[in-house]
Parts: sequence; structure tokens; C-alpha cells
Amino acid sequence: MSQAATMPIEERAPEPGLGIYNLKLGIWIFLLSEVMFFTALIGSYVILRFAHPDHFAAPGEVLNVPLTAVNTFILICSSVTMVKAYAAIEKDDQKGLKQWLLATIVLGSTFVGVQVYEYIHLVNDGFVPDAQAYVESGLAGGPLYSSTFYLMTGFHGVHVALGVGALIFILIKAMRGAYSSQRLGGVEGVGLYWHFVDLVWIVLFTIVYLI
Amino acid sequence: MQHGESAHPPYMMIWVVLAVLMFAKVGVSLVDMGRGMSIALLVLISLVSAVLVALYYMHLRFEPKKLWILAALPLPLIAILILTVIQEFR
Amino acid sequence: MSATAAAKTDWDQPGFAGGEHHEPSFIRKYIFSTDHKIIAIQFLVTSLFFLIVGGLLAVMIRWQLGFPGAPLPGGDLLPDTMAPGGIILPEFYNAMVTMHGTFMIFFAIMPLMVGVFGNLLIPLQIGAGDMAFPKLNMLSFWLAVPAGFIMLASFFVEGGAAGAGWTAYAPLSADGEYTGVYLGQQLWLVSLFILGFSSIAGAVNYVTTIINMRAPGLTWFRLPLTIWSLFITSFLVLLAIPILAGALIMLLTDQTLGTTFFLPAGGGEPLLWQHLFWFFGHPEVYILILPAMGIVSDILSNGARKPVFGYHAMVLAIIAIAFLGWIVWGHHMFMSGMNPMLGTTFMITTMVIAVPSAIKVFNWLGTLWRGNIEFHAPLLYSVGFVSLFIVGGLSGIFMASTPVDIYIHDTYFIVAHIHYVLFGGSLFAIFAGITFWYPKMFGRMMSSFWNKIHFVLTFIFYSMAFFPMHGLGLEGMMRRLYDPTQYAYLAELQPWNQFISISVFLLAATQVIYFANFTLSLWKGEKATANPWRANSLEWSVPSPPPHGNFERIPIVYRGPYEYSSPESDEDFYPQFVPPRQKTAPRPEPQPTAD
Repeated sequence: MSQAATMPIEERAPEPGLGIYNLKLGIWIFLLSEVMFFTALIGSYVILRFAHPDHFAAPGEVLNVPLTAVNTFILICSSVTMVKAYAAIEKDDQKGLKQWLLATIVLGSTFVGVQVYEYIHLVNDGFVPDAQAYVESGLAGGPLYSSTFYLMTGFHGVHVALGVGALIFILIKAMRGAYSSQRLGGVEGVGLYWHFVDLVWIVLFTIVYLI
Repeated sequence: MQHGESAHPPYMMIWVVLAVLMFAKVGVSLVDMGRGMSIALLVLISLVSAVLVALYYMHLRFEPKKLWILAALPLPLIAILILTVIQEFR
Repeated sequence: MSATAAAKTDWDQPGFAGGEHHEPSFIRKYIFSTDHKIIAIQFLVTSLFFLIVGGLLAVMIRWQLGFPGAPLPGGDLLPDTMAPGGIILPEFYNAMVTMHGTFMIFFAIMPLMVGVFGNLLIPLQIGAGDMAFPKLNMLSFWLAVPAGFIMLASFFVEGGAAGAGWTAYAPLSADGEYTGVYLGQQLWLVSLFILGFSSIAGAVNYVTTIINMRAPGLTWFRLPLTIWSLFITSFLVLLAIPILAGALIMLLTDQTLGTTFFLPAGGGEPLLWQHLFWFFGHPEVYILILPAMGIVSDILSNGARKPVFGYHAMVLAIIAIAFLGWIVWGHHMFMSGMNPMLGTTFMITTMVIAVPSAIKVFNWLGTLWRGNIEFHAPLLYSVGFVSLFIVGGLSGIFMASTPVDIYIHDTYFIVAHIHYVLFGGSLFAIFAGITFWYPKMFGRMMSSFWNKIHFVLTFIFYSMAFFPMHGLGLEGMMRRLYDPTQYAYLAELQPWNQFISISVFLLAATQVIYFANFTLSLWKGEKATANPWRANSLEWSVPSPPPHGNFERIPIVYRGPYEYSSPESDEDFYPQFVPPRQKTAPRPEPQPTAD
């Protein structure tokens, strides 16, 4: 099947384009700047950790690795449900779209919920962003540990929460029958964002919890 | 998207691979194999997982090659920033 | 994709006119407009407002430097926390220096370049009915407005506005106890963070629109250089602003949540802030100058009635400058205690930038060379741009060299350099661009006579104000200095400071001419025809101002935008949208070339 034929008719670009409809191209371009945003956060963490290894504890010493491993698994599952939702609407399967979107929303909310639970426990243990309080808590490592941790996981969590919001919006529109195999830009766009957030977490889980 | 109805990317297969890779990472972090080795393996596995997500779940594999160039634009900048600033603290 | 947005991008329909045909209400048309031309005008008005704010701050700074301790005329109108009895307090001076830089860079030059010309010209010059995402475009403007007013409001909170410089170096900026400014600095951070969203929303729109919505026949190498420069600039915005956003968040949590990313007391690294800031900051410099280069290229070619000299080289030079912009940031940090090995690397990469910059300068000269030059006002401003940019570029090479920079770092030499490239460079190009596209925006011409008077006076007073600063810098006068007379060796140079201050006052007064011309021409200006400058690009094919939706039919592009004095045309210009004469064009329509 040619590329133009599967592209939503009303969103087809004029000849000298990239062969991708505007919304999808726009999302990709927006994701470029998201990559740079996380580069600032993760890069700072890498650099600070390199400069001050004594501020960072061994994996599992402070952070709850098993819990987060399960949470990571949940987020990976949400990615497959998202892509299933997209595959469903590609075949004009309205019911499948709604079911898979709902599954993605549930999994995404669970991820955020687990993260909040984890935060509450960490704060109770004295793992707080405030440098003075961290030193007083007597935990392993130094204050750069907690501040970089909350910075990276926090902003990732905000992205997941926003993604859940966008998914709910898409689900409401799907229930009104806004999508079809010819009109699936919204599903694909939110999907791209959702997979990107998943991708960032794959990196974050490794460098924050496992290294 | 060049795939017709029968030629979907193997979404479920990739999900299994991603899950296995993730638990492999946890395993690597538990086994004592020397810090350098452990970090190298973990980063490698994460990169493989990330590339799988980008290629199949984000459909990059089925997009025009010009989008690949676009998507790759930040990569050299990431390397430049981190590798340069780290020189301060060697 | 929503149904309304989908309808807006219905490109397959012939005679597409960009959405609904009924006349929108006043609020939809002028306040919450999604029309790129209206958004461009909105950006123009707001950023000219902030240009005036920044200019007034500059005048007050120069009053203090020229006449330290003397009460500022009218200064008793300011509250006692700023200037009791009209005498400017040191804390307020710090805030003024910080806010002058912040307003000029983030709220005046950047939106003037990217917000105004990007919005106005991208759809018009590529033959599109509007941007790819008109609503996102509206959001971009309406995020910039609150950002600007939060910044403005920070003057009036307890402790005053941020005083750590526009670069907000940590730890000075990271803990309020150093400057006595808590809330002001936090508002500064929040404001720039919001502005970052606005810029990214704009850039997403620009890149998508330029890639996907060019008219048939408008291949990459038929694009006007203005579009090329805005395209590359948009990538710089996309990739650099998020770095600033990340750094701003860390600085904000240092201020509010007790983290210590940049505070050595808790293990943080002040140099990390400088690296992140300048990793954003140097691309930002090119965000401010690349569109100027594109605009000037277009106007010089139009004024000289000749094709741009070396079009492909110009495009490659823009790309080269944009790429090199990512690997030179350390030249702002030679004196920061940075690893000396990095210093040498950054010195070399910085000097390499002189190559594409020189290519551009020589190509501008080549464009003018033996042209049948028409000295209209936009051309004069552009020539002013080229000459002042050369001075700024040359002083840049001085500073790129580490041994020289050690001597002149943080002196008025740097102040001279930045004003040569940002005022002499960017702002002259903005004057050129506004004058050139004023008829397309408002349907009337600005007074050419008063534009020329304004150009001559600005050029003279500008040079009187900024050239002597090189000398002051070499004599050792520090930038951001509150009172030069407190040092014996600078007190001797006080006449120079007074000379500069008076020149700045005259320079500021001269700008009234431009603003008066701008405002009065809205009503009194001569009515503009569709193509008053006899130019080639697509925006001149539609009426001035263009209707909602711009083009009655999507135009077809037959050639590049610089076909001036072409032998194939009877006139001395040959617009992109005019079909070739039959004998030279056997086919009625060009093959839409793949890009």
C-alpha cells in the first residue's frame, strides 16, 4: 500500500513535504525538544554523580528496586497496550481502541500511583530534597542523591501524568467516535508521546536505580 | 506505514523482549561482576530497549529516512554536552 | 486530530482560503486570533513595548554611569526602594542591569526576530494559508504575554527584581542571601520558564510548516534566505531552550526547596550552571542573529536589484554557524576556572566560526557589488547591519583568543561587542525588516524620509555611544559597575563615560522618530500596493495586507526568490509566482520537484 493511501485524507500535506502529516511531524519535532529537556536533567545527574561519587549510595541501599522494577514492568505493559490501541483503530476496531486505551490509562495511573507511594515512603525515611535535612537524616550518600532523584523521576512523573490526561481526552473523543482508520492522528500522536515517556523511563530506571 | 493488515510489527514479541531485557538489567545489577562491566552492560541493554521502542512502538522503522535524521539531531548534542562538561571533574 | 483542526489543513481543496469565511468577531480576530499575520502584529506590539522598557532601563543605567550620585531627572517618581530622592540605589542598579539584558534578549530581540518575522513571513513566503497549528501559534503568543508581565512585576515585589545578571550565575543567583533578592529571582526563573514554552510552541509550528506546507515547486533551494534562517533558528530554539528550562528548574529548587545543585555548600557545582546556561546561551546568540542575516540577505538583494551572491554558500553558512554554535559555549567561561584543556578547544572552535561568518559578509558585499542600487530605507538599515556586524565580528575574534580574553573579560569591551552584534546587528536588521514588511503587515508605507533621517542619526549616535566602550574596556572598566568614579584610574575616564551617556540619550531620543513614524504611518502612510518594493517572493503576490487565508489559490513556484535583473523578464525583477513565458516554458506547470 502506498504511503499516501494510508495517510488520513484530510491531513495530507502538499507535494514538497516529508510524506508525514502535520500533526505527526509536529509531535516528533516537539519530542526533539523533550529529549533536550531530559538531557539537561539526566546530563546534570551524570555529571554531578561523576564529580561527587560519594553523594550516591549503592543500588538498593536507599531506593526500593523491586517495587520500581514492577513499576517499570507496568509502564512497559502500558506501551504495548497503547500500540495495540493504535493497531485496533488502524483496522477500524472501535471497541478494541476503547478497551486498549482504557487499559493504558489504568496502567499509566498505576505507575503514577506507585511513584507517589514510593515518594511518601522515601520522604518518611528522611530522603528529602532539602540538603540540610538530608545530611541530618543520616542516610547513605549526600544531598545530591535525593535532589537529582526527585528532579529526574519527578519530571518524568509529571510527563506520565500529563500523558494520562491526554489519553483520557483521547478516550472521551474515541467514545464519541472521533477516530477511524482514516482519522487516527490523535491516537498516533498521543501514542508517540506515550512511548517516548516509556523510553525515557527505561533509561532513568537503569541509571537512577540500577547503577 | 507500509504494513497492511497482516504485516503488523510483532508488538507482543517486542513486549516480551522488553520485559526480559528489563529483568535482565535487574539481574545484572544484582550480580557482582565489577562496576565498569556492570555499568557497560546496563547501558547497553537500556540502549537496545530504547531503540526497540523507538523503531517499533514509535514506528520509526516504517517512516521516511528523513525523519530518522530529524530524530537523530539531539543525539550528538547529548554526547557533546555530557562528554565536555565531565572534563571539568576528571 | 480534532475535526476543526483537520478542516483547517484541507490542502487538497483548490481555492483553499484557510478556514471559515465568515468574518470573525473582534476578539477572535484581534485578541485571540489564530491568524499568523495578526499574531505577528501582536508579537510586534508587545516586543516593541518591551524594547522601550529595556531602552528606558539602559538610559537610567547610563545616567548612573555618566553622572553617578546625581539625582535622576524624574527619578523621584520611582519608589524609595529603587531610587530615594532620585538617586539610584546599588541594588536597584543591579536589578536594572539584569533586567535590561533579560528584557532586551528574551522579550524584545528574540520575539521580534522569531515571533514577528517567523509568524509573518513563514506562511506568506512559502505559499501557505496559515501555520500548521494555528491554535498552538495563538498559545505561543498568549504564553509570552504573561511571561513578560511576570518579569515586569518582579520589579515591584519585596527585594526588587533579580539582580544576579541576565546570566544568573550561581551561587549568586541560587541563594537569596547573596543579593537580598528572593522572590524577584524566583519570578525571573518562572517567567523565563513560561517563555520557553512559548518559544518551543512557536518553533514546532515553524519547522512543521516549513517542512510540510511549502507551495508546489518551492524546493529547498528556492526558499528565501529569511525562511532558511528562520528554519535553522527554529531548530536552535527547539534544542537549546529545553536545556535552559532544565537549568532554570534546578536553580529554582535551589532557591525554594533547599536543593544544592549549584551550591558548593551541599556538594553542588556552580560551574554546572555556567555550562548549562551557555550550552543554551550560545545557540541563543545565533537565534538572535541568524534571522537578521536572512532578512538582510533578502533586502540587500532587493535593493541592489541583483541575485544574492552565492545563495548555496549562504545556506551552508547558516547551517555551519548553527552547528558550530553548539561547540563554542565555553568561550564565555575562559575566566570561570574551567579546565584549561577545554579553554583551548573552545578557542579553536570559536575561531572557526569566523569562516562561515566571513562567507556571509563577503557574499553580502558581493551582492551589492556593481548592483544598480536603490537606496531605500530598508537597504540603508541593512548596510548598517553589515558594517556594524563586521565590527562586532572582529571584536569577537579578540575575545575568542584566551590570552586576550583574560585581559578584557567582563570589561566594557565585552559590553561593546554584545551591543555591536545585538543592537548594531540584530536591531538594525529588525528596523530593516519592519520597514520592509510594514506595507505587508498594515497596508501602508512608512515615511521613507523619516526612516532615512532615523537611520542616519541612529548610526551616528550608535557609533558615538558604543565604539568608545571598546577603549573603556581596554582601560579596565568592569561591566555591571555601579560607580566608575570610585576607582582613581576610572575617574580619569569619566569624561568618556559622560560622552557615552549623552550619546545614549541622543540615541534613545532618535528612536522616538521611528516610533512616531511607525504609529503615524498606520493612518497617514501612503497606501501600499501589493508589491511596493518590486520584490520576488510569494508574499508580494497577495494584496497588502493579505486577506484571511492569504492566498486565493495555492501559488505555484517557478524559480528562486532572487531573480532580479533577469534577462528572461522584461522588468528588473522576476517573481517566483509568475509563469515563464511560453517560449522558455514548454510545460505549463513545473514538475513539483521532490525535496
